[in-house]
Amino acid sequence: KDTATEQVTEDMLKEVVDIFISETDTFSLLDIPGTCVSVDADDADAIIARNSQYEEVCRNRAGHGKDVDRSVQTLNGATKNKQVQSNSLIMVDAGKSVMLMMIFINVLNTMTGNIPNHRTAITSFLAALFKYPAERQTFVSGSLKEVEVDGNSLNTELEWELIVLSEKFQHCLLAMEKSILRNNSQPQLAAYRQLAVLEEPGCPVKPDLVEPRKGGTESSQSPALECLWVFSCELSRGRSVSCMAWNRKNPDLLAVGYGGFDFGNQTPGLVCCWSIKNLKWPERVIHCDSTVTSLDFSASSPSQLAVGTRDGSITIYSVHSQDNRSQIVSSRESPSRHMGPVWQLRWMQQELSSSGEEKEEALLSVGADGRISKWFFFKHGFDCTDVMKLKRIQNTKKAGRNKTETMTGSVLTALTPGLCFDFHPTDSSIYLTGTWEGLIHKCSFSNTQQFVETYSKHFCPVNCVAWSPFNPDVFLSCSSDWTIQLWKQDHSKPLLGFTSAQKAVCDVKWSPKWATVFGAVNEEQLEIWDLNLSILDPVIVQPAAPGVRMTSLLFSSQTDCVVVGDSVGEVAVYQLKNFSVAERSQVNFSW
Amino acid sequence: MFLVKQAEEVEARMKRIAATKGVIGTLVVNPDGVPLRSTLDQSMTLQYAGQLQNLVALARSTVRDIDPQNDLSALRVRAKNYEIIVVTGDYLMITIQKLPE
Repeated sequence: KDTATEQVTEDMLKEVVDIFISETDTFSLLDIPGTCVSVDADDADAIIARNSQYEEVCRNRAGHGKDVDRSVQTLNGATKNKQVQSNSLIMVDAGKSVMLMMIFINVLNTMTGNIPNHRTAITSFLAALFKYPAERQTFVSGSLKEVEVDGNSLNTELEWELIVLSEKFQHCLLAMEKSILRNNSQPQLAAYRQLAVLEEPGCPVKPDLVEPRKGGTESSQSPALECLWVFSCELSRGRSVSCMAWNRKNPDLLAVGYGGFDFGNQTPGLVCCWSIKNLKWPERVIHCDSTVTSLDFSASSPSQLAVGTRDGSITIYSVHSQDNRSQIVSSRESPSRHMGPVWQLRWMQQELSSSGEEKEEALLSVGADGRISKWFFFKHGFDCTDVMKLKRIQNTKKAGRNKTETMTGSVLTALTPGLCFDFHPTDSSIYLTGTWEGLIHKCSFSNTQQFVETYSKHFCPVNCVAWSPFNPDVFLSCSSDWTIQLWKQDHSKPLLGFTSAQKAVCDVKWSPKWATVFGAVNEEQLEIWDLNLSILDPVIVQPAAPGVRMTSLLFSSQTDCVVVGDSVGEVAVYQLKNFSVAERSQVNFSW
Repeated sequence: MFLVKQAEEVEARMKRIAATKGVIGTLVVNPDGVPLRSTLDQSMTLQYAGQLQNLVALARSTVRDIDPQNDLSALRVRAKNYEIIVVTGDYLMITIQKLPE
């Protein structure tokens, strides 16, 4: 586009210029013909004729004249406000961090359909990737797009994933966790192990920690319980503790069995193995299918833990390593398994009948179907033989007078649930079992049909029986009828009865250190009794927190501590302080 | 899968350690001295990694000089207000914990 510019001169301005103006054709933009025609027009007649013809047609139409003009009003009703409630939408934020390794595994899975189980395959893949020079790398995989990543960051990420898999690192972590926690709770752990409290050089020592050491020789200070710590984690919170057991070989390991959140049949149970060295998180966590009702560690193979559950099955777990292969065997498919909850389990050293010297370990269980069974392993499973069936006995009033009369008088073959049993500390063929009806039977392995003796005093289910570890003739029993009874082996009536609170007594245990001391747990408090001091009242009473029921009790064998489990999943460790009981190895009860 | 579960457990344990009462920070360092994971800020991480690298090497050589079969497993440095715990394997895991009163 050239723009020619001319210089404008004076002459040009004075010139006369002719301009011609012309008109274009008319553009018609809108044309609407009219519908009215003048009467004087040429075709007016034709149009008039057509109009009248149309009127005829309209008039002759059917229904003409019946149309009536009417008007209608729509009524809009008054609006009313109504409120409705619905459940609020619970929104949960969930996040997950995905590691490169997991993407790789999933990709392999979709490509080949074969899950690589071998750790070495994965680690070698990662190591191979790791060896690439640290420049721009491309990470290619089947279904991912080609991604170019910076070499450095990829290397450290891969390295992190490599070490996460290595066992050494996990061991490192374990050691680290224990060291840190030991720092935090050093005074409590020292008190547990009965060591002197560590004094920080340069820090003022707290006076109240040092005092008990000096005051130990005075007997004027009353015995008391001090709570050292509580085992509790988020997995166990809210679940009720049903049973506890120390490991036979490692006295620092405590297995605790938990029930479900409410005491129902279908809720899955949990077993946690706590260690004294780690107060915040259990060493092992085992999830079970139903509420755990009893557990026991084996003495001959200390890493085997037998767990009995509410649906009657007994499972043996190995706590040696935390992996999927921890379940060794289960009695679920066995045809002669218990039909009701397994209330107590015990591994016992049994003498083989033929060769009197050898001792073999067998698992014995008592269940709610009234059978005491001895379990043994065969090729692929686990089966049992019945050692005793707990028959219901009539004529319990005559039990004290004439034993043989009641034995022959039992016509019923109904079985009564057994709740607990205990083996004699020295004579391993005699054991006691407590039943739902309140009777305690002394039985022998050699006689599977009849009880050797029956003790009846309780009229409610007997929750626990315990032989005294110091005096082989004496045992304790506790029941839901609010009492604890002390019996001697050959007397069919109890020697002493103890009541202190009007609540069912859940558990009773003898102290392993002092011959006259035992502990009992009823629903609202923990009681420590010392028969030397008083037979009417417990020496120490520790009430439970409001709303919480204490459910089980264990003495610790090495130190003078008591472990109590309660209904909110907390296992508290108390230390007995100022307990100046003379340690006697044998106590004679003479009445 | 078992390995995935293990990896998740390791992550959970690391989180628990970092959340324990009194712990100021944790870091994991590879044998070359490159920090792999850390809960502290960059400058502190590099400082700790650098300083402790020397100390760990010295401690390790001390242990090995006395008994060549032996190896260093852990090292703790206790100061007035805090304690540095180093657990060694192939990799160093370092935790700084504030001491309770």
